Amino acid sequence: MTETQSPAKAAIAQPGGRPALLSLLQGERPYMLYLAFAVMLVVFSLASPWFLSIDNFLNIGRQTTLVSIIAVGMTFVIISRQIDLSVASTLALSGMSASLAMAFVANSWIVGALAGLGTGALIGLINGLLTTRLEIPSFLVTLGTLSGARGLALMVTNTKPVIITNEYYFAIFGEGSVLGIPAPILWTLGVTVAGILLLHYSVYGRRVYAAGGNPTAALYSGVRIKQVTTLAFVLTGTLAGLASLILSARSHAARPDVVQGMELDVIASVILGGCSLFGGRGFVLGTLLGSLIIGTLNNGLVLLGVSSSLQLVIKGAIIVAAVAFTRR
Amino acid sequence: MKQQARILFGTLSLAASALALSTSLSFAQTPDTCVTGVDMATLGPQGIVGQGPHGEKAASPDELKLTDDEAAKVKAGKFKVGISMQTVNLDWSQLQVAGISETLAKYGVTVTGVASAEYQVDKQIADIENTIQQHPDGIISIPVDFTATAPTYKKVGEAGIKLVFMDSIPVGLESPKDFASMISADSQGNGQIAATILASCMPKGGTIGLVNFGVDYFSTNERTKGVSEWMKKNRPDIVMKQVDFTDPSKVSQIAGDFLTGNPDVKGLFAVWDQPALDTLSSMRAQGIDIPITTVDLGLQSAIEIAKGGPLKATGSQRPYDQGVAEALAMMKALIGEKTPAWVGVQSLPVVQSNVLESYKTVFHKDPPAELVDACNAAKPKCN
Repeated sequence: MTETQSPAKAAIAQPGGRPALLSLLQGERPYMLYLAFAVMLVVFSLASPWFLSIDNFLNIGRQTTLVSIIAVGMTFVIISRQIDLSVASTLALSGMSASLAMAFVANSWIVGALAGLGTGALIGLINGLLTTRLEIPSFLVTLGTLSGARGLALMVTNTKPVIITNEYYFAIFGEGSVLGIPAPILWTLGVTVAGILLLHYSVYGRRVYAAGGNPTAALYSGVRIKQVTTLAFVLTGTLAGLASLILSARSHAARPDVVQGMELDVIASVILGGCSLFGGRGFVLGTLLGSLIIGTLNNGLVLLGVSSSLQLVIKGAIIVAAVAFTRR
Repeated sequence: MKQQARILFGTLSLAASALALSTSLSFAQTPDTCVTGVDMATLGPQGIVGQGPHGEKAASPDELKLTDDEAAKVKAGKFKVGISMQTVNLDWSQLQVAGISETLAKYGVTVTGVASAEYQVDKQIADIENTIQQHPDGIISIPVDFTATAPTYKKVGEAGIKLVFMDSIPVGLESPKDFASMISADSQGNGQIAATILASCMPKGGTIGLVNFGVDYFSTNERTKGVSEWMKKNRPDIVMKQVDFTDPSKVSQIAGDFLTGNPDVKGLFAVWDQPALDTLSSMRAQGIDIPITTVDLGLQSAIEIAKGGPLKATGSQRPYDQGVAEALAMMKALIGEKTPAWVGVQSLPVVQSNVLESYKTVFHKDPPAELVDACNAAKPKCN
């Protein structure tokens, strides 16, 4: 806990004391994140002839969809001083639930969507209630659900994938497009806008900051921290459910072993985006940018033909450097 | 709170309805110019192409048939055999175990248990030590790794227990001193099948991409080698490019970016079926429609082949038949007969016209309704 914040400031913290719109765009550390992203774009554009094109940016947008969407929810969780390690497993189980509902209940995209989102929300609720009511640290609770949800996902079909055949489902969550913008990117944009409204323009958002910035002060100001925190977990779980719909629509099947370890990419995006791991600080647009920075890095390194092992080393170094840079 | 909930709900439902209204449902079909020129009867290698990990030549599973006399000896022996797998969470492992168990049961041999190491070396070492404690007459196992498990496998032989490997042999173990036989698929032969069909789709001088596993692993190395050697020999005009992945969950992104950075690539080989399916999903997203071939057969890859989309073919292993061969080798070893050091199980070419029958051959059961439906929708090309 090296961060120092005055309780009074933290309790009411819209990040910083700047006007709402500015803080929405800049978070705590103005410009640095945008600068880091811009430098990366310039470097890759100069290094690869294929990088700077609309098609490639659509690629990056599509590839970062899952992480970006879940990271919006994770921003709420981390700002409220918690962590959710279960998101990748939640995604896997929600996908299985959506595909099985379409296979066995009714082959309708609405049934699939409700089952997927509902499963995600339910796991979020379990995480939230165990964390706040039994007061078990969320790290341990979600470590448990990480394992439990993955196990259930593998168990329901004895590890086999479930094939999806509903073409509306494919179109709405995976393969459709509006004005040339693919559905997964539209979902990311929708979730980001909704996240911004909820975190930066609503009473609930201010309570999330208060709960994470200084829980004691928040409690005395009448903030129901347990409810606020539980809702943040439910939001994250639901968004993991949405991500599962997108992934399964894109691959025409739900598989129980997908995206293992993705929780780390999600957390990295949120932290890179300027959120404090100790709560009370962060902004949704920063999270999106964090996710895009990691996605652009993955994309650019493949375009440059860097060997897969070296990619991991470079990626690790750049992420640490970027966090250090944006925190100065 | 209510107002925020309304805003959130409103935004999401607006997005959903906009998508529902204006989605473009276009599912492009690859023109069916390839595969047709390939003679199915001569497509697969007639024997085993690859060599064992130590350069040995492969024996055929036919050499493992038991004579009546041998069968009687096995039945009289009332033997017990333990199985140690790397995982039991794959169709592949379940079919192997079914092939082994059902064959052993026919001759009155008991399976003492099936251990699953979950890909962890220390778990497998413990599994094998525990199995030795049960004093079985034999152990059939696939090593999770080549080096760390070797001393433990040596203990098996020292305890007087017969050992049969599937797919690879740990470093320093020799037949017949340390183990009886190793039975594996013909990975290089599978690669050749994928190469032959991919080449039939490629114009002269075209470029193909190999989506390869970047980790040094015997069977995946052999598959990619099978493709590149076949191409060099039979289609030297084709240019090959390669992209490696180390984390199988990242294939969709890596293959998608590879195609963006290499727009000259007009055909793909992916090293097993799941990476092929992940590549396919990123191709769909990017609106790219080029042929892919791969190795291994699963339900989803079978459906894609049946539909007649970009996934043209796969060279399939026969894990059930491989399990049968492992059981036979074990029984021969148990009654003191000599067994070949390496037995290769022949590859099976799977294309749209034989996908239903191939599914039956590989899985030893009728194809599920999803596959039959997909095939019916693509009749008469699909059978």
